[in-house]
Amino acid sequence: MSDYVNTLTEDKKRTFTLKVITYIVSILLAILILTPFWGMLKEVFGEETIIEPAGGGNFKITHIPREGMMTLKEFCGLFNEYTFIGFGNSVYVTFTSTILNIYISALTAYAITAYEWKMREAFEKFVIVAMMIPGTVASVGIVQWIYKLGLTNKLFVFILLAIASPMNVFFMRMYLKATFSKELVESARLDGAREFRIFNQIILPIMKPAIATQTIFSFVASWSNIWIPRIVLMEGKKRMLPIMGGPPGAQLLICLPPILLYAFLSKHIVEGISLGSVKM
Amino acid sequence: MSNRNLINRRYTKWGYIFSIPFFICFLAFNFVPLASTFYYAFCYLKHAGNTNPEFLPLVGKPWYQNFKDVFKAKSFWDAFKNTFFFWIASVVPEWILAFWLAVMMTDRRLKIKGRVIFKTAFFFPKLVAGTALGGSLLIHLISFVGDSIGNVLMASAIDGFGITPEDLEPFMNVRFFIIVVTIFMHFGITFIYVVAGITGIPVETFEAAEIDGANRLQTFFHVTLPSMKPILFFITVIAVVDGVGMIDIPSYFGIYDTLRRNLTLMMYMENQAFLGSYAYDKASAASLVLLAIYIIISGIIYLTLLRDKDEAKLKKLIRQERKAAKEAV
Repeated sequence: MSDYVNTLTEDKKRTFTLKVITYIVSILLAILILTPFWGMLKEVFGEETIIEPAGGGNFKITHIPREGMMTLKEFCGLFNEYTFIGFGNSVYVTFTSTILNIYISALTAYAITAYEWKMREAFEKFVIVAMMIPGTVASVGIVQWIYKLGLTNKLFVFILLAIASPMNVFFMRMYLKATFSKELVESARLDGAREFRIFNQIILPIMKPAIATQTIFSFVASWSNIWIPRIVLMEGKKRMLPIMGGPPGAQLLICLPPILLYAFLSKHIVEGISLGSVKM
Repeated sequence: MSNRNLINRRYTKWGYIFSIPFFICFLAFNFVPLASTFYYAFCYLKHAGNTNPEFLPLVGKPWYQNFKDVFKAKSFWDAFKNTFFFWIASVVPEWILAFWLAVMMTDRRLKIKGRVIFKTAFFFPKLVAGTALGGSLLIHLISFVGDSIGNVLMASAIDGFGITPEDLEPFMNVRFFIIVVTIFMHFGITFIYVVAGITGIPVETFEAAEIDGANRLQTFFHVTLPSMKPILFFITVIAVVDGVGMIDIPSYFGIYDTLRRNLTLMMYMENQAFLGSYAYDKASAASLVLLAIYIIISGIIYLTLLRDKDEAKLKKLIRQERKAAKEAV
């Protein structure tokens, strides 16, 4: 009996130590990761940081502090008209492509999960293979394609390019596999619902956590995508915010939408692929 | 039963209808460019804005000319070595940290609070990554790492822990910075997905392991990892896609190094195609090499992670039995 109690207290001690270590590591890590943002804010409102090469792949860093506080006029000077045009362009491309991408991915995942069609397994394999080949490999082809069709300086190209995302399909399929119940769909059919309506009103709400997660990731990827836009968007008015560089105020503006979206969706982020299901 | 089958068959057409939008978009906007990249690799296609590829044998050159050019370039091999060095050196610590922290945070007995806050903090760099090429964030990540090293230097100068400035010099280096910044940017994603995978495992599984007297390490390797196989596969694919295709962070260091210590495969490809040389054909050949690397790595991952070995064995057995039955008849 005393032996048992001994091992129990020892276990408690060990658990406590582990707990303390975990807290220390994660708090340290959070501080480490967040500190650069403090520097970034300082950059916008004052201090300047310069990195110079020091030969042989090494370099040195100097900080030049600024004197006094920033006035309101100076703050407004951080933005110019192109900042807002670029912001509008970015919002248009990112929002449209994310919505289309997520909806079509969910639809495809549902098609693979719910229906027993002949090509289903082959199609799923195809999605897995496609997922492992990133689009950037084909960038020469994409740029040539844009040149040939005369689509330089057209923003909708980037929406089209972002629609099909095998990675999102795979993730949603993984989620749906765990939460899908055939009975739910069948009872809806008995009530006379059409297939599109079943998907929109029953399946989409079930997939909320997966959709929230992938929305955040797709949004961020699309928002910060500069790989092809940098090459084919030449006209100043067609440029998107992240490729403009420009005044430091633009950088503040770039940060905002992803942070807002994350704040809005973070409570829905997937916590457990098999949780959050409506098993009936 | 047959009635039910009939109903199911009536609805199968919707499987095709619902997957067609994805399929068409993928074919038109992902597959066609990939196929044309494949074709350009065997063509002559140079100069900015040139959209008129000429098949190499028709111009009087061997069909493998572009590949020969790529493999002969010393910078390609530098890029090859760098890419794998950066990738492995950043993925290993990142994964160890992410998995350890995720396991600890989801442990039932530890009851760690504030998981959501930590998740947000870890994911923050990726959220703001749009700024990366605006430069600010990266500059500060770099200067932060640099300053920390400087602080250690200062501390060592005062107290003298036996550390001399020369010991710390290797850390003020482009390669070390690329690795650290990559881990900073990527850690959050891995962490979020690992947590999602672990919390998806039913609690009863862990309870059973605990009752059987498994310790934490045994539980992790024999219960947690095998139970989160699909998401483990997903995380691995993300690590491969982002790691081998690494470009944003290394290219930021381009101005600080003339010896190509930061050059990666994707950067090599971009340099060939769009920045300066406009050799689209050579870039296409480099893309194909990159594609081959992806296929090899993904194949290995698929065979080791996703394929259910027991199921494959079972299928083989069933096939053998059927064969035997046929022969018997």
